[in-house]
Amino acid sequence: MTSIWQFLREPLVAVGAGLIALVLVLIGLAVSGFAPADVLSTAWTGVAGSPLRLAICAQEAVPLLLCGLAATLAFRAGVINIGLEGQYLLGAVTAVGVLTSHTGSMAMPWIAMLAGACAGAGWCAIAVALERRRGVPLVLSTILLNVVAVHVVGMLVQGPLHDPLTAAPQSALVPDASRLPVLVAGSGLHVGAIVALGCAVGLWLLQRRTTVGFEWEVIGLNPTAARFAGIPVVRRELTAALGSGAIAGMAGAMQVAGVSFFLSTDAPSYGYVGIAVALLGRLHPLGVIPAALFFSSLDLGSRQLERRLNIPHDIGNIAKGLAVAAVLIAGALSVRSRGRS
Amino acid sequence: MINEWLAVTIAAQAVTASTPLILAGCGELVAERAGVLNIGIEGMMLTGCVTAFAVTAATGNGWLGLMAGILAAMAMGALFAVMAINARADQIVAGMAINLLAIGVSGALWRSLQAHDVTEMSQTAGFERSWLPHAWQLTAWLTDLPVVGPLIFQQYGLSLATVGLLMLTWVMFRRTRLGVVLDALGQAPDAAAAAGEPVRAWRWGAVLFAAGCAGAAGAYLSIMRTHAFVPEMTGGKGFVVLALVMFGRWRVGWMVGGCLLFGITESVQQHLQSLPGSRAWPYQTFQVLPYVVAIVALACLSRSAPGPAALGKPWPAER
Repeated sequence: MTSIWQFLREPLVAVGAGLIALVLVLIGLAVSGFAPADVLSTAWTGVAGSPLRLAICAQEAVPLLLCGLAATLAFRAGVINIGLEGQYLLGAVTAVGVLTSHTGSMAMPWIAMLAGACAGAGWCAIAVALERRRGVPLVLSTILLNVVAVHVVGMLVQGPLHDPLTAAPQSALVPDASRLPVLVAGSGLHVGAIVALGCAVGLWLLQRRTTVGFEWEVIGLNPTAARFAGIPVVRRELTAALGSGAIAGMAGAMQVAGVSFFLSTDAPSYGYVGIAVALLGRLHPLGVIPAALFFSSLDLGSRQLERRLNIPHDIGNIAKGLAVAAVLIAGALSVRSRGRS
Repeated sequence: MINEWLAVTIAAQAVTASTPLILAGCGELVAERAGVLNIGIEGMMLTGCVTAFAVTAATGNGWLGLMAGILAAMAMGALFAVMAINARADQIVAGMAINLLAIGVSGALWRSLQAHDVTEMSQTAGFERSWLPHAWQLTAWLTDLPVVGPLIFQQYGLSLATVGLLMLTWVMFRRTRLGVVLDALGQAPDAAAAAGEPVRAWRWGAVLFAAGCAGAAGAYLSIMRTHAFVPEMTGGKGFVVLALVMFGRWRVGWMVGGCLLFGITESVQQHLQSLPGSRAWPYQTFQVLPYVVAIVALACLSRSAPGPAALGKPWPAER
């Protein structure tokens, strides 16, 4: 009994939190005069109304999944990298630079993703260096670097990367030949989705089956114990931070090479939401996959509600925030009840 | 080029720009000294910002808007407290949840305002730049004083209230039992509990106070400084406040100094943007300056003080 409960506890907590968030939003909408059945069926057509919609849902989940994995990798090792937003943007802008300055070819998107990963890791390295050398907490430096990254992207897409054909603050388009191959015609679901799933499984194996993964886990649980056990804490924390920066940067590059094909000053970033995805996935690499799909269906469903029922699509974001709040509270309660039994 | 008039203009702009930072910083400082790191301050500011605007635009009463902004932010603070204090969730993570929720709430509220065509507030409904009553003969004379006028009398009333709040906070930490208790919560919550202090209740109070200050600071941005709202209006200002509290080593005076420094860089960059030669660079080149200055300032000074020992740690430590 105990073992089954232990196995099921985390998934149950996550699913329960997601349901609580949905129910709260539905109650809120019911109070404003929208029948829950209408809302649900309309949202469902937006998420899964056709195979194409499903493919779009998966496409939207890809950057969320990667950013969620980046957060999972860092948080599990006790590295509070709040800078995924900035690392994602740096990866994206680097990829735009690489892709628009070279003639198109099959290899280009992969080179751009590598460059984006390096840029993301580099942006994170600034924060790590500030912490190591100057004692600035990672939480603060990464958060401020996020704001800086937004402005850096703005500077670049209006300066060196600006598309000369338009006055709008946006970069040139990525050449056709340099785009990631599409998996489902008509959608933006690209080969990167397989890479992202591979990353999830890879991170899971890394955490479960390798020494490094075990050492990350120990550091996350108790850094002092880890140091006494002879684990090179400083070096492991560095790899966790740079690794998560690299994944976030790659996510940005992948989005440019596979979906958006250009970058503008108001390009969305998935860094902050990625942290929420990781939390709802209970910081488990495989749990992050359904969490990312849940968040992308919230996005698509709420946009459909806006189109059909004139409900602001921001209720999707409210649901995300509530889900995270619920998962934090439910997680604490489930641990407490286990302790009592 | 830097003449006296320009210096006064920049200084007056700096006071206007740093008021919300000082106000929110005052609350954040109290929360952090009580051991609660409130990353959700950005979301609380945004909630206060949009709610104050919505209520002011709908009722035409700025005071109602200000109160609503403060209360809405405190509601967010209560949710944060449930997560971080009662459920003992990681404070940083709980704060991120608040930020995410606030983006959703403010966006939904803004879009429903747009749907009802209430996107502007009447200029008379908000607050005016000068806080002295116009009826007074003295008012015109005081606001027209050469340096003191723009720096003090041509500011919003909330700037004055902020100065009062700062003094109260300073006195509280220096002279009162409450200040000692709050510091104990941040330095050694177990000891405070052993001395019979209700740790959770005090921390709740500190978080609600921080949320209220953040809400007022957000309201300042919408119904006072601009008389308008734009989505995600706070634009990372709450995060800057976090940095400035740390930069100020958790002391009231230093924190204010940091906020003024940030305010000055902010108004200098606005001035640089307005120079004729600045067209050659994208405007973001200037907008990013205060944030770079904040990072550099942190890098120069953060080694010198460790901060509250129990900052960011849930209490009690073991379940």
